[in-house]
Amino acid sequence: MPIDFHLDSKQLHAAHLKLQAVYHPDRFINGTDQEKRLVVQKAAWINEAYEILKNPVRRARYMLEISGLELNDDHETTSDTAFLMEQIELREEMDECRSCKDPMRCCDHITGKLDQRSKEFSSSFISLYQQGYLEQARQVSKKMQFVERILEQLDEYQLKLEDDIL
Amino acid sequence: MALLQISEPGQTTAPHHRNYAAGIDLGTTNSLVAINRSGQVETLPDSNNQHLLPSVVHYAEDSILVGYSALQLQASDPLNTLSSVKRIMGRGIEDIKSLGNILPYEFDGNNDSNVPRIITRQGSVSAIEVSAEILKILSKRAEQTMGEALSGVVITVPAYFDDAQRQATRDAAKLAGLNVYRLLNEPTAAAVAYGLDQQTEEGTIAVYDLGGGTFDISILNLSKGVFEVLATGGNSSLGGDDMDHAIAEWLIKQAGIEGDIDPFMLRQLLIASRKAKEDLTLQETTQIKLKELDYSISLDREQFNHLIEDLVNKTLRSCRRAIRDAKIEKEDIQNVVMVGGSTRVPLVVEQVGHFFGCTPLCDLDPDRVVAIGAALQADVLAGNKPDQEMLLLDVLPLSLCIETMGGLSEKIISRNSPLPVARAQEFTTFKDGQTAMAIHVVQGERELVTDCRSLAHFELRGIPPMTAGSARIKVTYQVDADGLMSVIAEELRSGIKADIVIKPSYGLTDGEVESMLRDSMSHAKEDIDSRMLAEQQVEARRVIEAIDSALSQDGHELLADDEYNSITTARDELEKLIPEATTEQLKKAIKNIEVISDNYVAKRMNASVQKVLSGKNINEVEI
Repeated sequence: MPIDFHLDSKQLHAAHLKLQAVYHPDRFINGTDQEKRLVVQKAAWINEAYEILKNPVRRARYMLEISGLELNDDHETTSDTAFLMEQIELREEMDECRSCKDPMRCCDHITGKLDQRSKEFSSSFISLYQQGYLEQARQVSKKMQFVERILEQLDEYQLKLEDDIL
Repeated sequence: MALLQISEPGQTTAPHHRNYAAGIDLGTTNSLVAINRSGQVETLPDSNNQHLLPSVVHYAEDSILVGYSALQLQASDPLNTLSSVKRIMGRGIEDIKSLGNILPYEFDGNNDSNVPRIITRQGSVSAIEVSAEILKILSKRAEQTMGEALSGVVITVPAYFDDAQRQATRDAAKLAGLNVYRLLNEPTAAAVAYGLDQQTEEGTIAVYDLGGGTFDISILNLSKGVFEVLATGGNSSLGGDDMDHAIAEWLIKQAGIEGDIDPFMLRQLLIASRKAKEDLTLQETTQIKLKELDYSISLDREQFNHLIEDLVNKTLRSCRRAIRDAKIEKEDIQNVVMVGGSTRVPLVVEQVGHFFGCTPLCDLDPDRVVAIGAALQADVLAGNKPDQEMLLLDVLPLSLCIETMGGLSEKIISRNSPLPVARAQEFTTFKDGQTAMAIHVVQGERELVTDCRSLAHFELRGIPPMTAGSARIKVTYQVDADGLMSVIAEELRSGIKADIVIKPSYGLTDGEVESMLRDSMSHAKEDIDSRMLAEQQVEARRVIEAIDSALSQDGHELLADDEYNSITTARDELEKLIPEATTEQLKKAIKNIEVISDNYVAKRMNASVQKVLSGKNINEVEI
């Protein structure tokens, strides 16, 4: 079955709601204990699927997994030194934002850079995946994970900045 | 039967009978009950036409008073008059100490249970039992109004409530003899009350709930009757009471009061402050009189706004975080619903409106809106509105973590995951022949376990002895639609399910709930054993009915002959047992049939997934 990395998030959301409408435990208020137990598992499973597909990194990792790659999040790392250097620089830049004249704009600037990187990685993932270079695709997905993590940190950081300012 | 529901979503077992189901807002200061009375959902008054029931319980010599009558005795008999127990629901004695002196009760130091017990003249009681008394009064009020027993209730809880607090609320309902359809988050209930589910267009709303002692903010997405909580946040110790304190502090300064202030004086100051706050809702200025000090001063709204500015800003900070968590922009929010008495304060409405860039919704009584929403949901769950597609999808309010080396917490399920949710984790043994292991589950966002809320200690026993590191133990944490957690553990190599001994950190064990139930029932002189047998007999008939109807629909289609036969054999055995077996035997036979038919029920569910998904493109089938 062909699997596509490009996903219409609205369509995904609609499909999720449609399934939840049938399998939500609220629909089984008067069911037997067995049905209640099974339907909670089912609904949890549907939610899990949605969470995986919704997030580009998890989606990419999942696609690799169902293509037969065994992934281990804890022990994987990237050996691309240029990429690692760039990550370190971005982190430093983030730490310096605080002393900058307009820290919020500074943060936005970094976010923009990261978003750009994440777009590049996504398209390179797609093309590697489609050509069947799964190992290389895995490398890229790892980088996507790095970018996602630093974006999250940036988010937290911005929140703290806002709290300090206001 | 729900097995049939699979093909017809939204249908319930008894389609022709109207079930009376109420919504209950179990609040810190006041509680309410609402119900659908011939098409109109409204809160119910007592015989004095009072809708609010103060959440106060008084333990007299030989009776228990609840509400206004209890409230009147608070000053004269404070130790036997319990209020604000919602603050200690699901809390340990240490937490209560950290709350300070707001609860002037005597706690029972020597009891084995880890649920704090307050000493009264009728013996020691827990917050759960006190809440049960409030629930009993409210359900009785509903039953008397409707002239019929309630089939079930929906009880609201703050979105911020953790597992232990939700479990305590459920236990209270159980003690009150209520069938809880669902614990519903208060903000979700408020959005339902405003009929925002009737909107045909998809939209995002915020619910700003500032009560007496708590603040909750929730971001919800609505589309065609489906409510989806995208994020929740807030502060469990921030509310209107803090506004009173802010005024009181200002008064102390202005009046030049020095030194220690005795509790009586503080009480007077707070009462005067509260009145001033309420006056300033409609007036521009008010006169505060302190009779005891022969002191009088005027407070205008501008000064008042200045006093509470920080507090309001704190709430807006939580709003910003929730918006971020929901991964949306502030501009995406079309409506803000105001809940809680403290949203009557003009500065709050003004600042919230300014922050969100829209006029907040405050047409409904902010004290009643939650109960009304709960009643609407109860009505749907009771099956009275088969054509209503309302579905409420909630999220986990606080991350679920386990303790790892060095007292650090490791996230298993992160906050704001849609419910229900299940996540599995694999462990291994670190000693040869190890047969047990302990897991500490906590809830919260902090890195150190000591900064999170301890939920429970699990002990896994019965792991088959193997060499160190070769056992693979899969532990599955599951949180149901109410936000309640359960744990399943299995050794993957042998397939052996490990026994789990749960020791809730601040909750009642199942045994404790049962013995409390027995106690309360023996008071009512009910024959528990015969009642439990009757319940099992009903359950057995329900199971048989479900099996019959399912088998006649697709039994032969989905099952191999031997599977089909083993189900019917088990079914026939159960049927034979009904008139003669004991409660335990029936329980066992039902359990047996469940095990045998698990696979079949799962197959039926899958078959109907296919039905739901037919006509979808490949992307979606990936689900």
